[in-house]
Amino acid sequence: MKTRKNLFHLLSLVLLVSLVLVACGPTAPEAPAETEAPEVPAVTEAPAATEAPAADPMTALYEAAKAEGMLTTIALPLDWCNYGPMYEGFKAKYPGIEINPLDPGAGSAEELEAIKANKDNPGPQAPDVVDIGIGLAPGAVEEGLLQPYKVSTWDDIPEGAKDADGYWYGDYYGVLAFEVNTAVVANPPTEYADLLKPEYNGQIALSGDPLTSNAAALSVWAAGLSTGATGDEAAQAGLEYFKSLNEAGNFVPIDGDSRTVGIGETPILIDWSYNSIANDIALAGNPDLVTNVPKAGIIAGVYVQGISAYAPHPNAAKLWMEYLYSDEGQLIYASGFCYPIRLDAMNAAGSIPADVFAQLPSIEGAYFPTVAEITSARAIIAEGWPTVVGVEVKPLP
Amino acid sequence: MTLSSNSASSVVKAPEKKSSLKANQFWARVIFSISVLYFLIPLVATFYWSLRGKKDVLGFEAYKKLFADTNFLPAFSESIVNAIAAIFLSLLIIVPTAYWVTLRLPKLRPVVEFITLLPFVIPAIVLVFGLIRLYSRPPLLWTATYDSSRVLLVCVYAALSFPYMFRSVDNGLRAIDVRALTEAAQSLGANWVTILLRVIFPNLRTALLSGALLTFAIVIGELTIALYMAQHTLGPYMADLTRSKVYEPSAMAIVSFAITWAAMGIIQLVTGGQGQTTGGH
Amino acid sequence: MKSSINTDPKLTNTTVGGVKRPPQFQIGHWFGVIPFFVFSGLFLIAPTVVLAYRSLESPAGGLTLEFYGDLLNETVISAYVMSIRISLTTAILGGIIGFLIAWAVSIGGLPRPFRSITTTFSGVASNFAGVPLASAFVFTLGRVGAITALLKLFGVELYKSGFSLYSFLGLTLVYLYFQIPLMVLVILPALDGLKRDWREAAENLGATPYQYWRHVALPVLTPSILGTMILLFGNSFGAHATAYALTGGLFTLATLLIGQQISGDVLHNPGLGYAVAMGMVIVMAVSIFIYSILQRRSERWLR
Repeated sequence: MKTRKNLFHLLSLVLLVSLVLVACGPTAPEAPAETEAPEVPAVTEAPAATEAPAADPMTALYEAAKAEGMLTTIALPLDWCNYGPMYEGFKAKYPGIEINPLDPGAGSAEELEAIKANKDNPGPQAPDVVDIGIGLAPGAVEEGLLQPYKVSTWDDIPEGAKDADGYWYGDYYGVLAFEVNTAVVANPPTEYADLLKPEYNGQIALSGDPLTSNAAALSVWAAGLSTGATGDEAAQAGLEYFKSLNEAGNFVPIDGDSRTVGIGETPILIDWSYNSIANDIALAGNPDLVTNVPKAGIIAGVYVQGISAYAPHPNAAKLWMEYLYSDEGQLIYASGFCYPIRLDAMNAAGSIPADVFAQLPSIEGAYFPTVAEITSARAIIAEGWPTVVGVEVKPLP
Repeated sequence: MTLSSNSASSVVKAPEKKSSLKANQFWARVIFSISVLYFLIPLVATFYWSLRGKKDVLGFEAYKKLFADTNFLPAFSESIVNAIAAIFLSLLIIVPTAYWVTLRLPKLRPVVEFITLLPFVIPAIVLVFGLIRLYSRPPLLWTATYDSSRVLLVCVYAALSFPYMFRSVDNGLRAIDVRALTEAAQSLGANWVTILLRVIFPNLRTALLSGALLTFAIVIGELTIALYMAQHTLGPYMADLTRSKVYEPSAMAIVSFAITWAAMGIIQLVTGGQGQTTGGH
Repeated sequence: MKSSINTDPKLTNTTVGGVKRPPQFQIGHWFGVIPFFVFSGLFLIAPTVVLAYRSLESPAGGLTLEFYGDLLNETVISAYVMSIRISLTTAILGGIIGFLIAWAVSIGGLPRPFRSITTTFSGVASNFAGVPLASAFVFTLGRVGAITALLKLFGVELYKSGFSLYSFLGLTLVYLYFQIPLMVLVILPALDGLKRDWREAAENLGATPYQYWRHVALPVLTPSILGTMILLFGNSFGAHATAYALTGGLFTLATLLIGQQISGDVLHNPGLGYAVAMGMVIVMAVSIFIYSILQRRSERWLR
C-alpha cells in the first residue's frame, strides 16, 4: 500500500518534471529571432545589383563572416553539382570560415524541418542555408523559415526563378534522364515508352519516393508529359503510367541511387542528368553507365537557395550566397554538368569558357514548369501514388 | 550431499545419459550448422562484392580508397569512445535499478519495463527533434557546442541501450538467487555498496557482457540521432558513403564488422569471458 | 525448511536473522532507482511528452484531436497492421531459432569455443542492419544475387517462380538476421541459470528429456523468454532503416509513415507523423501490459 502511494508520488514527480521541461520547450511560432551577429557592421540586404559592384561591402561581409567562424550547410552531397569543389573554392577564397555540412542525404522538406527544429539553437545543428526544390520555396516563406537577401548579381537571375522579395533564388537546373547500367542492361532504353517493354522487367526505379522527393515526383510527372498530356492531366497520366509499369513488374519500388545502379539492383534509374554523368565518371567503367535523356517528356528542375531565418551565422550564409552566384561559383556548377542560373547573362558577357559550356548535357526542348504548375502536379501525384504502388496494391505474401 | 547424489546418478544413469547427450550434441550441431550458413553467406557475398573495386580484377582497391579517406578513421574512433562511455553510464544506472526493482520494489516493475522499452517506440527521428527542442535553449542549453552536444549524445545512447541492458541484467538476476545472496551478505554485515560491487556485479558477468556488447553495437552503427546532432561519427559517415559509392560501402561493412568484432573480443577478455554454465554458487 | 532467511516478498525487510528491520519505505531503496528515473525522464520521457504535445498541437496554435482522427484512415491502419505482423512474425521466429541456438552453445553440448564465437558474432550481427544488411541480402538473394545465380545453374529460376526478396517473406528473412542474435545474447544468461542439479534430479526421478523440459526447464525460462520476445517485438516494431533500404515504398510500415510525414516533401504533415508515433507508443504499452500478465502467471510457481 505504501509502495503504491510512493509509486504515485514518484510518477507525479517525473510527470511534473517532464511537463516543466515541455513548457520550457515548444512555444508558439515566433517571429524570426534577432540574429546574434557580433558588433561588426553586418551587411544586410545588399543594394540592387545595378549599383556599384560589392567591393567594400564584400570585405565587410567577409570580416563579419570570419568573426562568426562557421557555415552550416545541409543536404549538399559532394558529388551533386560539384559541391565538393564548391566547398574547396569557398575555403580557398575566404579562409577562416569552417564549413559544417549536415546530412548530405536530406530531402528538401527535411531541410525545412531542420530549420524549424533548431529555431533557437545557436549550436552546430542549425542550418544556415538550404538548397531546396523550387516547389517548396513559397511554403517555406509562408512559414517564416527564410530571410531575404539579394546577392550582388541579383539581376542576372531570370524572373521566374526567384522570389520578388528576395527570400529564395534559383541556383542551377538540369533535366531528368535515365541512368543505365550497361553491364546488366544490354539494350538501354531511350524513351519513357521503352520502359514498359518486358525486357526491362524488375529494373526500373525512381531516385526517391514521389511522396517525399522533389526529383521522384517530377519523374512521375515527366512520364505523364511524355504521353502528350499537359499540366494536371499529365500528373494523372504519370500515375497511370507508373501503375502499368508496376503491374508489368518492371518497377522496383525502392529509392535508387548510384549504389543501387552500380550493384545492378536498379540498373535503370530516373534521375537528374548531372547526377548520372557525374556517377558515370566516378565509376570509371566499373561498371559502365550510359545517360539517356528522353526527348518526350523532357523536363527541367530548378533548385533554389535560401538563408534560414534563424541562421546562427547569417553573415557566413550571405557570403556563401555571394560565392555561389559569382562567376566562379556558377562555373563550378557548370563543371558539375549543372546549368548555372546566370547562364544567359554569363554567355552574353563571355564569362563561360567554351570547353565548360560544351560539356553541359543538352536540354533542348526542355519544359520549364512554373512554381504553381509544380505545386499543383505534385499534390495530385502525392494523393494518387498510394493507389499505384504500396498499400492499396496487394503486397506479395 | 551433492557429491554423493552425483556419483550415484552417474553410476546408474550413465548409459542413458550418454545417448541423450549424443542426441543433444547431434541436434546442437545441426542447428549450429544451418545457422552458420544463414549468417555467413550474406557476409561472404558482401566481401566478394567489396573485392570488385577495380574493373575485372579482384583486389582491395575499395579498401585502399576507404582508408585513404581522411574522414574515416576519426569517425570510427569517435564512435568507439562514445560507445565505451555509453556502456559505463548504462551499467551504472541499470544494474542498481534492476537489482532494486527485483528485490525491493517489485510493484515498480511494469513501470520500469515500460520506460526501458520506450526507445523502441519513439522513432529515432522523432526523438532527436524532441531532444533538440528541449535542450537547445536556456536554461538547459546543451547543444551550444559540438562537445556539449556529444555529451548529450552519449547520454541518449545510454538511454537507448536500456531495453537491452535491462533485459540482460534482469535475465541474469533471475538466474542467480538474488534474494538469498543479498540476505546472506547482509547477515554478514555488508552494506549496499559492498553487496552491489562485490556480490552482485561479479555474478552477473554473462549478463553484463551481453548488455555491453549490445550497447556497443547500437552506438557504433547509430545514424539518425548522430546525424541531426551534427556529430561526426561512423553512422553518418557510412550513410554518406552508401549514397554515393558502389564498392566502398561493402568494404566499409566488412571493416566495420571486423573492428566491432575485435572490440567485442576485447570486452570479453576484460570481463573475464564466458565463465559459468550454472548460475550462482 | 525452517530458516531465518525469509524470502516472502511481503515480509522481506522486516525480519532477517530475527532482527527487526526498518519498515518498507526506506529512502535507501529509492536511491537505487532515482538515477534511472531522472535519466529516463530527461532523455526518454521528456521527448515522449514533447511528442504527445506536438501530436495535439494544431498548426494554428492551440490543441486539436484532428491528427488522431486522421489515424483512422485506411493507409495508416494498414501501416500499423503490417508493422505488427512483421514484428510478431520475427519476434516468434527469432525467439524460437535464437533460443535453439543459445541452447546449442550452452546446454546442448557444443564445445566451449563455439559459445564465445557465437556471443561475439551475435553482438556484431544484432546491429548489422539498414543498408549494409539489405545490400548483403541483395548480393545473396537479389535478382542478380549469388544464390539466385547458383540456383539458375541448377535450372531453378528463383524470381520466375514467384519468390522475391522484396516481399513480406524477404523482409522477414532479412529482419531475422538481427533478431536471432539479439535473442541468443539476451537469453543466454537465463539458460545459464538452469542448474545442472535440476536436470539430474529430474532424471533420477525417471523423467524423460521431454518431461524435464516441459515441467522444469521451460516453466523456469518462460518469463525470460517472454520478456526477450517483447524485446524482439519492440526491436522490429521500431525498425526503419532496413525496411526502407529493402522495400522502399512497397510496404507501408508505421515507422516509414512517420518518416514520410516528418521529412516529406509533398505531404509534410508532421502533426500526423507525431500522432502515428504516439499510436506506436500505445501499441507498445498494450504489448507490455499483455506481457506482464503472462509473466505474472508464469512466475507464480517460482515463488
